[in-house]
Amino acid sequence: MTDKDRLTKNEPTPDYYLRAEGITKVYSDGTVALKEADLEIHRGEIIGLLGENGAGKTTFTKILSGLLPPTRGRVISPRGHIRFKSPREALEFGIGMVYQHFALVGTFNAAENVALSHEHPFNRIQLTATKKKLEGLMEESGLHVPLDVPVEKLAVGEQQRVEILKVLSRDIDLLILDEPTSVLTPLEVDELFSLLRRLREEKKSIILITHKLKEVGSVTDRVVVLRHGEMVGDVPTEQASTQQLARLMVGKALDKESSAVELQDKGLPRREQERANVRSKQAVLKVDGLTVKGNTGEITVEGLSFGVYGGEIFGIAGVEGNGQSELVEALTGLRLAKSGSASINGKNILGLDPREIYMMGVAHIPEDRWRLGLVLPFTLAENAILGVQRWEEFRGPMSFLRWGKINQHVRELMDRFEIRATGPSAPAKSLSGGNQQKLIVGRELAKDPQIVVASQPTRGLDIGSAQYIRDLLVEMRGKGRAILLVSADLDEVLALSDRIAIMYEGRFMTIASPKDLDRETIGMLMGGVAVKEAA
Amino acid sequence: MVQHRKKEKEAFVKKVLALLLVLVLGVSLAGLANGKVTNGKVGIVLDVGGRGDLSFNDMGFKGTDQAAKDFGLQMDVAQSSTAADYLPNIRNMARSGNYKLILCVGYLLGDALKTAAAEFPDQKFAIIDSVVKAPNVMSVVFRENESSALIGALAAMTAAEKGYKYAGIVLGIEIPVLYHFEAGFRFGMDWGLKKYAEVTGKTPDVGLLYTYTGTFSDIAQGKAATEAMLAQGAVGVYNVAGPLGVGDLEAVTEAHTNAKTTYGPPYYFGVDSDQDWMGNGYHALASGMKRVDNACYNAVKSVVDNTFKGVVLSLGLKQNGVGISGVSQLANFIDFGIAGGAVKADNFYNIIANWALNRATVPAYIWDAIDELDAGILSGKIVVPTANTSDEMKAIRAEYTLGAP
Amino acid sequence: MSQELTGSVPRKEKFVHRTLTGLNPAIESLLAAAVGLIIGAILMLVWGYNPWKAYVALFQGAYGDSYGWASSAASGVPLILTALTFSICVRAGMFNIGAEGQVYIGAAAAVTVGYFVLPGGLNLIVGLIFAMIGGALWSLGPAILKLTRGVNEVISTIMFNWIARFLTFYLVAFVLVDPVRGEKTISIPVSARFPVLVRGTDLSWSIFAAVAFAIVIYFVLWHTVIGYEVRAAGLNPSAARYGGIKSKRTMLLAFILGGLGAGLAGATIVMGNPPTYAIISGLPQLMNTGFDGMAVAMVGRNHPIGIIFASLFFGGLTAGGRTMQFTAGVPLEMVRVVEGVIVLTMAIPELIRVFRVMRSSWSTLMNVLKRRRSA
Repeated sequence: MTDKDRLTKNEPTPDYYLRAEGITKVYSDGTVALKEADLEIHRGEIIGLLGENGAGKTTFTKILSGLLPPTRGRVISPRGHIRFKSPREALEFGIGMVYQHFALVGTFNAAENVALSHEHPFNRIQLTATKKKLEGLMEESGLHVPLDVPVEKLAVGEQQRVEILKVLSRDIDLLILDEPTSVLTPLEVDELFSLLRRLREEKKSIILITHKLKEVGSVTDRVVVLRHGEMVGDVPTEQASTQQLARLMVGKALDKESSAVELQDKGLPRREQERANVRSKQAVLKVDGLTVKGNTGEITVEGLSFGVYGGEIFGIAGVEGNGQSELVEALTGLRLAKSGSASINGKNILGLDPREIYMMGVAHIPEDRWRLGLVLPFTLAENAILGVQRWEEFRGPMSFLRWGKINQHVRELMDRFEIRATGPSAPAKSLSGGNQQKLIVGRELAKDPQIVVASQPTRGLDIGSAQYIRDLLVEMRGKGRAILLVSADLDEVLALSDRIAIMYEGRFMTIASPKDLDRETIGMLMGGVAVKEAA
Repeated sequence: MVQHRKKEKEAFVKKVLALLLVLVLGVSLAGLANGKVTNGKVGIVLDVGGRGDLSFNDMGFKGTDQAAKDFGLQMDVAQSSTAADYLPNIRNMARSGNYKLILCVGYLLGDALKTAAAEFPDQKFAIIDSVVKAPNVMSVVFRENESSALIGALAAMTAAEKGYKYAGIVLGIEIPVLYHFEAGFRFGMDWGLKKYAEVTGKTPDVGLLYTYTGTFSDIAQGKAATEAMLAQGAVGVYNVAGPLGVGDLEAVTEAHTNAKTTYGPPYYFGVDSDQDWMGNGYHALASGMKRVDNACYNAVKSVVDNTFKGVVLSLGLKQNGVGISGVSQLANFIDFGIAGGAVKADNFYNIIANWALNRATVPAYIWDAIDELDAGILSGKIVVPTANTSDEMKAIRAEYTLGAP
Repeated sequence: MSQELTGSVPRKEKFVHRTLTGLNPAIESLLAAAVGLIIGAILMLVWGYNPWKAYVALFQGAYGDSYGWASSAASGVPLILTALTFSICVRAGMFNIGAEGQVYIGAAAAVTVGYFVLPGGLNLIVGLIFAMIGGALWSLGPAILKLTRGVNEVISTIMFNWIARFLTFYLVAFVLVDPVRGEKTISIPVSARFPVLVRGTDLSWSIFAAVAFAIVIYFVLWHTVIGYEVRAAGLNPSAARYGGIKSKRTMLLAFILGGLGAGLAGATIVMGNPPTYAIISGLPQLMNTGFDGMAVAMVGRNHPIGIIFASLFFGGLTAGGRTMQFTAGVPLEMVRVVEGVIVLTMAIPELIRVFRVMRSSWSTLMNVLKRRRSA
């Protein structure tokens, strides 16, 4: 299908505000974030943009708001073809975006922050004018924010209002909000939504990025679903059922047979084939009522209770940012838990530091291998002892490192885990991503742990390496070890896990066998819709 | 096309050659400029103060430079960026064996010269303001008591004339060298007060305020001490603590600002170099100078004349080694100040005018008396006492009590 | 940093390799030095001095004969130590500007041995220990501020430098003052001085103390667990935490090791440099030792072995600069400018690298702050 076909097939409706046609974005590292995405935006409508992590939602809106140029495709308005060189140009055109991470100066008050986005922010006359204008705007929109208080003293919801006011003060026609509710309390969410409805009455267009199915139903007029960079659905909200949306978001509703075929295609093992029947009687990891706070002090893990048994892979699926990272960090000593308990073979692990937890038989494959898993400028050998540097085996008298022993250990790791590198003294940064991850996995598995906590273990890896690492996890299960697998790759979790928990806003929506979950249900649970509600 | 490119290349080569030529010319010209024909070399080693200190180093440089010009010698300078450079700098010059004399300016170089003089017994050295006892070292020291006597007399007579109760002296750390100053100052005050009574027929009531601040570097201490003395009614202070003079002068200037006066008392009396130019000449009445320039000149001259000896030369008024500042020294020092960036060039005449106006606030009979004292010391009729130990100092303090019980 | 940046060297993970990987960019250093020399030559030419004559004098004075070598080495001795102070902390992920003040305190502490009467060489040992403890104690101030209150070490060490400076002024003028010569402290007794190594030069046995300290630091950083932890925490604090490393401990250790080095540097100056063996009022022989050490650390690629060579080079500039003055007639100010240019060009490659590494930890910090702000 050529571009021409597409255009003739899909003529613009006469009263559109903005049209994105065939937007494709390929990042410099070759990642295809968007494939031929089309979207028509009308005045006075709220569009819900739905999709999993990495589906391309943010990329798409960044292109609309001028932060990124598209690789191919165009954006047109009734006035003609538009190409923004910067977000400022987009703002002048009338498109404003509120990002997930606010761009506010903490020590400035709301008026000063708003003035910052204007031409002469510190001109006193301008500042007074901005303040006047803001007061009017606050009256109009019902968005009330104290103007004289430094924004760092404001609540998150208020800060978000400042961001929205900042955009509204520029007389915009299209407001884009990236996951605006993730940081808000339910009450604040209600306030936000009523604001959005008011703006709709003023004939403004709104794009609401979200992965929460409920929100989509409560405020939007139309839902657009992105999956792997493609627009897979564009339906009026009243016609869309939650099931349908969940299915669109997560993938086609596949019957069991074709599902297996697809998994085979992706190089994933079928769990039935390699099931080892060695599940332990006692849970290796037992978590009870665990509550953990996030970086900003909000509750990210809320009263979780579960157990992971020897000889099983316990998978946690869910959209990222629903508390998975905090859970893993709490269990590996990187984050203090607020309340609850967690124990390994009956011994408490909460409040211990990472090394003490390793000593109890916990291996941790961290989600971010560059930030946590490796010291990139270090050599292979130096990285191979990270966390176990104080082992007697590697430590001689006067705590001298026994480099001979360490290098020997590294060569064994290289052999056993197929790490391709020039030698133990090669810097870790010279390794490919796959080999880096194999190094981490090798290092962790060499600890001969009771339980492996694997967080996004195959993210960003080529198929071969990803498969290799999955096989290793299955092999560990076969040896009777417990494995806690956290992954944003739903296929991976489904294929490997013996039991699956779906995590949403710090809680498990369900814990079930993968056999008992169809994709539609999973999609709904990931979107925060309990199965009973939907039915 | 090829032709064209070749031409471009040629042009480029030509440009490079031209640039190289300029560089080579520059180098050889620079070389020529340095290649003077001389009767030999004289080296001068300066302490960390270096050129532009408006004191010892500048004076030493000037005297040596003058001597070098007069006797057709080439002068090489080694400045020191840290104290660790002293010994290597002296050694480096001595090792070359090219120098008729190596002059070390300032007592800070004493330790280093002591070591180097032993290592190079055939090399002639001279040191200013310090004593190094070695057969190949000429040590030049100054009779600071004589210049201090002149300042003391001036201060005491001015105080009596203007109705002030005290004359002040702010000293550094209590070490024997400073006793020379205190002893001379006491004698001078005593002489001046007697002279005042003789000339005017009045009995003056002027005492001495003196304080050892215990530092040669803490300028704030100088200011504090001066403020205290002025508050007690001192006509001015004599700075015998090097850099502290800046603080002393600051206190004097502030007193003037508060009293809304421009010239006249209180005064500042400078030390070592001619400090009369400081503060644009408004308040510095006179300085008790060490003529480092003369000392250096004479040291070089002794080598040329073959009169060099490893002795200690003590230079007083008679030998032109110390003295009270006059207008010609002032001009010299303003020039140093301009060269060093401390004084603006167009300020030259202003400073001299201010200085002259300030001096005019002291009546002529006092200046005549100072000249008389000067002449008396020169002729040997008047002998200024000095002190080298604390016991000797005690004896002098007992003799010239100057108001103290 | 450089140790990790030299790329993969196949098949040689031996001791020698570990030692020398930090020095691989020798060619880079030579190139940088050449650029510096050329810029310096142009400067001298512009101001009418003969660069050829000047550079001949510089190299003659620095490395022309055994006297030159000895003088260069002597000037480099304290710089080895202050450079290590800076490097250890860079390896631990910090910019410790505090060597300067620690040198003063170390020197003052060393001078106190003048008040003891101890048999023979014991005096020397006691002086060294005093100086090292003095330097280390002084470094504890900024360390404690950083570890307990999160005070940025750049700011606190600069402040501590000033405090040390005036404290030492005070000590020199009032406490340790020589009763006969007020411009200096009492001299270190002969028994507590480092004997002169090459007669007729400033080079004393103190060079062995400095080199030994550098080697010890090398072994600590690259061959012990605690050194490994220091470096890991310096390069990637998050990963270090993941690896069970307590970064507060590694930072404290880096500060203390650095303080020991800087204190020792103060001792080598007052105990190893003829002729005065005392601190002179105004601290003219101590001034800038700490700051110059930072430049040496950069030229030496923040590696102990590199630093030994860089110090010899730096000392050569000092020694050669002295002869450059009177044999080529280039005044001291110009000599310093030329030296500065050469040092700067040589330090640039490592400066860039250090800032690159620091920037990543900086941006991590910024992200954390940002997240906290949106709370």
